Amino acid sequence: MNFSFSDDQVLLKNSVRSALDEQCKPAHVRAMFDDARGYGEALWSEMAKLGWLGLPFPEEQGGAGLGLVELGLVLEEMGRAAYPGPFFATVVLGGLGISLGGNAAQKDKWLSAISAGKARATAALLEEHLDWDSASTTATAEKSGGRWTLSGLKRFVPWAHVADIVLVPARAPEGLSLFLVDPKSVGVTLSPMVGIDLTNRWSEMRLDKVSVDPDAILGQPGSAGALLDSLLRRAAVMSSAEMLGAARRCLDMSVEYVKVREQFGQPVGSFQAIRHRCAEMLLEAENAHAAVYYAAWALTAGAEDAAVAASICKAYVSDAARKVCGDAIQVHGGIGFTWEYDLHLYMKRAKALEPLFGDAQFHRELIVRHVTSAR
Amino acid sequence: MDLNYTPEDVAFRKQVRTWLEQNLPKEIRNLEERRAWHRKLYDAGYLGMGWPKAYGGGGARPMEQAIVADEMAKANAPAPTNSLGLGIVGPTIVVHGTDAQKTRYLRKILSAEELWCQLYSEPNAGSDLAALKTSAVDAGDHFVVNGQKIWTSGGAIADWGLLLARTDTKVAKHKGISCFLMNMRQPGVDVRPLKQITGSSEFCEVFMTNARVEKSDQMGKLGEGWAIAQTTLGYERGGRALARITNYSSQFTRLVEAARRLRRHGRPLIEDPVVRQKLGRIWSEIEVERYQALRTLTLLERGEHPGAAGSLTKLSYSEFEKRFMELALEILGPYGQLTQGAPDDFKLQIDTAVGDNGSWAYAYLWSRAGTIYAGSSEIQKNVIGERILGLPKETRADRVGGKA
Repeated sequence: MNFSFSDDQVLLKNSVRSALDEQCKPAHVRAMFDDARGYGEALWSEMAKLGWLGLPFPEEQGGAGLGLVELGLVLEEMGRAAYPGPFFATVVLGGLGISLGGNAAQKDKWLSAISAGKARATAALLEEHLDWDSASTTATAEKSGGRWTLSGLKRFVPWAHVADIVLVPARAPEGLSLFLVDPKSVGVTLSPMVGIDLTNRWSEMRLDKVSVDPDAILGQPGSAGALLDSLLRRAAVMSSAEMLGAARRCLDMSVEYVKVREQFGQPVGSFQAIRHRCAEMLLEAENAHAAVYYAAWALTAGAEDAAVAASICKAYVSDAARKVCGDAIQVHGGIGFTWEYDLHLYMKRAKALEPLFGDAQFHRELIVRHVTSAR
Repeated sequence: MDLNYTPEDVAFRKQVRTWLEQNLPKEIRNLEERRAWHRKLYDAGYLGMGWPKAYGGGGARPMEQAIVADEMAKANAPAPTNSLGLGIVGPTIVVHGTDAQKTRYLRKILSAEELWCQLYSEPNAGSDLAALKTSAVDAGDHFVVNGQKIWTSGGAIADWGLLLARTDTKVAKHKGISCFLMNMRQPGVDVRPLKQITGSSEFCEVFMTNARVEKSDQMGKLGEGWAIAQTTLGYERGGRALARITNYSSQFTRLVEAARRLRRHGRPLIEDPVVRQKLGRIWSEIEVERYQALRTLTLLERGEHPGAAGSLTKLSYSEFEKRFMELALEILGPYGQLTQGAPDDFKLQIDTAVGDNGSWAYAYLWSRAGTIYAGSSEIQKNVIGERILGLPKETRADRVGGKA
């Protein structure tokens, strides 16, 4: 039993931190607000070189063969830096999806390209009713002339505008299936959906009789339910790692600020009203840390409680990050409400992830189903 | 990172479980039976496990201690006695005591021949413990102690007490305090039970009128009492880390069973989405406490001390227990308030923190104590703010003008 990072994991964390401190400063984050693609190609190539893009994929596909604890460490740092770009979409939603459900040829093609920084991917997990239960999927896939024809409306598809491939769940005659769709195909219309978090880009993705190759399906037709559950758990835990990083940044900025901000002739951090709030923020961050890395380990190790641990993680961290980031604005006072101060970058990053991959209420229901059926 | 238990720990757990199956007493009716159970546990090697072998301990790893406590919680085993002796006084003597003190006291703590209490808090020195006024005056061959202590856990059955008393009123308040070992069985010591909101009396008030403390029972140098007390407050060894979670988990199971039986608007409470959300939140918190316990045990296994992070642990679980018990009483309605006449379905039937086979009502009331004793939540937050986050100390009235 050892709930601590290995030397290699610490090394990885430190190297991601220093690379992002150097190349993903707040000025870079802000510069990307107005960029058409929304991310920097130079940093993307650098991430490929550093091996981050292939981190969880097998070595045969140019990856590092590491687990979700390591990927979580990288994503925590990305949340901390409010990294703008399709890393999560590509590596977690697209890459892990293909890795979980793809055949050898699909993995060879896509995971190698992702690891090398040559392809970006994402997944279209949400429709207009916002139900994360994949059974609610209404998009359809019909078979005609040996090819699949997909129709439906997907919303909040992260980074679809720069993706080379999108994982699209649709209902085939055999049941729920998962397709690989090129967003530049005829019949696909992408329209931007702009949220408060400008480090993230969403698209609405309309599929109108989109023709897809017969082999562009992950796994067997009708078998995508378990695959999508599995992917959702991983996305829930990895997005929690990002929220944790964003919350840590907000806490660190708060602590530094209340040490130097003076009112009534003394640093405001000396007042218990402020100090106690900071202590509560630290407690939430530490608990969130435990929830993230326990779940990341459990999913990687295939532990018995992996599924419920993933739900516990997303439920806990969604609430914790909201509290920490919100309290950070409060202890900063007025400056925390200004556009020029960087705090809102991290607060909005966490806020954007809070409802994704199941919010706290969604996961609490899964938790209760689990504990009441096991007893 | 590997959160599986080692094969050795799994085997050890199995061994403890088997021993408990074979040795668990049916019922404990009085202190003598509890002492007998205590000795049986000690003889089996399950008490004082982390103490040095030289003083009768087992030299065991923190994980082994945690496993024993956890298996006892799983078996709903009665608690041993002398918890303060084992948990605080003994370890303090090990670190700060003279050889003579170690020889005289330690083994009798382990065997529960002598039961101990801790004489720290006073009516006007709670969170501000260093304001304590009980005095110890040098009378040549011994000290004479006068004053009043309160919130003395187990005071009514204690043979000895670990005492903080003022020996110098002319220096800063933290520097005039000394530490003593005081015989509780003497005419100058009057122990009165303190009836709590639970209706029971786990705590006492202790009145000392010209009580006697031998010179040989002074611990550390004069004026070192505050520093010694700081180390004893830090003796959270993670021993109960897992057992605490097991208790929560058993209570949660009982609560879910009750929620299946109770109904609202014609359907079982367990089907009510609001109740489900609340149960889901509490279960998440229980599990997060468990993950944190594993983190703490990892540190301890490496021989590191959590230090001020212990304040995070204590703040976290004590505040959680209040939320948990509030939900329990919300779900149970008036059943949760029963101290007598509860039908079996709505009884707690689980050992509570203090070793009694308690009711939900008792557990609920008791949860209010956790955020006050051993440093209130407010004090823990001060410690976290100052010692972990490095925030500036507040201006304190008793330090203005350099008086203290």
